[in-house]
Amino acid sequence: MLPNAAVYYFPWEINSSVAEGEALRTFGRLSCYDLARSKAVLTARHRAAQHQVCVDTSFVEPFQAQLGSLYMVLGEAEHREGEGPVVKARILTCVEGMNLPLLEQAIQEQRKYLQERQQHVETGMS
Amino acid sequence: LPEICFELPCRISKKYEEEIPSLLWGLDPVFSAFARLYIKDIKEMRESKQVPGIFFYNGHPVRQVDVVGIVVQTKERNACYNYGVDDSTGVINCVCWKNPVGTERPLSELSWKLRKKLQEMISQKTKLEIGDVVRVRGHIRTYRQQREIQASAFYKVDDPVCDVQISRMLELPCLYREVYDKPFQVPEGTQRKEISKLNESLDFSNMLCEKVKGFLLQNRIQTFYQQELETIDTLVSLAHQPLPSATCQEVDSKSDPSSKRIHSIFKEAVRMLQEKGVVFHKPSSSKDLYHVTDHDKELLKLTLDCNQAPHEQQLEAGVLPPSVAAFSLVSADAEKGCHFLHVLSCVRQSYHPCLSEAVMHRVLELLESNSDVISTMEGYYTTF
Repeated sequence: MLPNAAVYYFPWEINSSVAEGEALRTFGRLSCYDLARSKAVLTARHRAAQHQVCVDTSFVEPFQAQLGSLYMVLGEAEHREGEGPVVKARILTCVEGMNLPLLEQAIQEQRKYLQERQQHVETGMS
Repeated sequence: LPEICFELPCRISKKYEEEIPSLLWGLDPVFSAFARLYIKDIKEMRESKQVPGIFFYNGHPVRQVDVVGIVVQTKERNACYNYGVDDSTGVINCVCWKNPVGTERPLSELSWKLRKKLQEMISQKTKLEIGDVVRVRGHIRTYRQQREIQASAFYKVDDPVCDVQISRMLELPCLYREVYDKPFQVPEGTQRKEISKLNESLDFSNMLCEKVKGFLLQNRIQTFYQQELETIDTLVSLAHQPLPSATCQEVDSKSDPSSKRIHSIFKEAVRMLQEKGVVFHKPSSSKDLYHVTDHDKELLKLTLDCNQAPHEQQLEAGVLPPSVAAFSLVSADAEKGCHFLHVLSCVRQSYHPCLSEAVMHRVLELLESNSDVISTMEGYYTTF
């Protein structure tokens, strides 16, 4: 069985509204890594606000944690009691040096296109 | 809500029901390209009813695809690897053969050291792990009700800072808007409409041609000018039919473009009659005067005359019609008669130097239907 497609999310979009088990991919700087608890935190700035994404790293260990570097994570969203959403990582890759503004633009472009097409289909149906 | 559920599949099927005939697929550039589609679209597009293995995205026939994505699943088999590739819109299984055709033979021609290095390179580029970025090109096939890509080429993409993935994400929406989402326009001339239009005009010319012929034969007209035909109401009204905007009143004014049009329509009809040998020009008469083959009195009268008098006499007197003259030359010594081409050349010599074959055929047919000549074998005629 193939897993579901991991849709791009911006780090600031990962909140309680993300469905449980939703496959997603996002990015951020590795700000902390707790080897004992298999827990990492990615941070990203958006409109002067700091956003955090919690990552469960148990599936991708061992890995070379380079604090402060840019990482891309691909996995499933999990809601745990007493915590915010956690991304259970299937893939965690260091992408230090990536053009972050360009990636953001690319995600927006892709979304815009797919939305337009969806709207087009919907108006064509009604 | 139930209404929507009913409408949805109905409309989708209507929209995609019509499939371009496979003969025209090659005219669509997408057909010969590796279509760079979202994996979601590769999995959802409709398979051709005419040729399995060909798919339709928005009416474009797709034969091969090109995808870039992250490997999210790997399975090694005896002869191939199965890679699950995720491009953020969908995940598809790619069947990648371990020994792609063509890599074996060139290897044996290289030195041992180079061979080893090349093999290392190949295994490095083709042995993929989860998290690697891969580019796959190949055909789509359905295996156990799942679509997969049968790779004709695949390699690991060195994409440490996601440049390749980002540029593709930026590129695809443009490519879709410019190419894939634009419906495939079948070039002019191959469209059914164009062909039917052409047929219509041809049908019309044929119809007018037949009407003119009928008119000429019915009224036993021997000679005519084209302009004379254009004064016959029944024929002119016919010429008006395909152009409803032109009314009968307009025909009277010479300057009107519709009278020009009528003129050219009749010209075409007369040309067709000439081709069929129904009418012809005589070099001796006026340039615009047409003779009706069936009513050429000279020909018919001389034909009747020659049945009553010996041929040689008539030949000497110069009164024998050309068609009969030709027969008389050989009828004495040959049972089988003389060939059509011989008749033609004789008639051309004595009667009309550039008489068309079609007219000659028509004359012979007429003579034969009157039992004045008989055809002995294919292309040969003789007189009684």
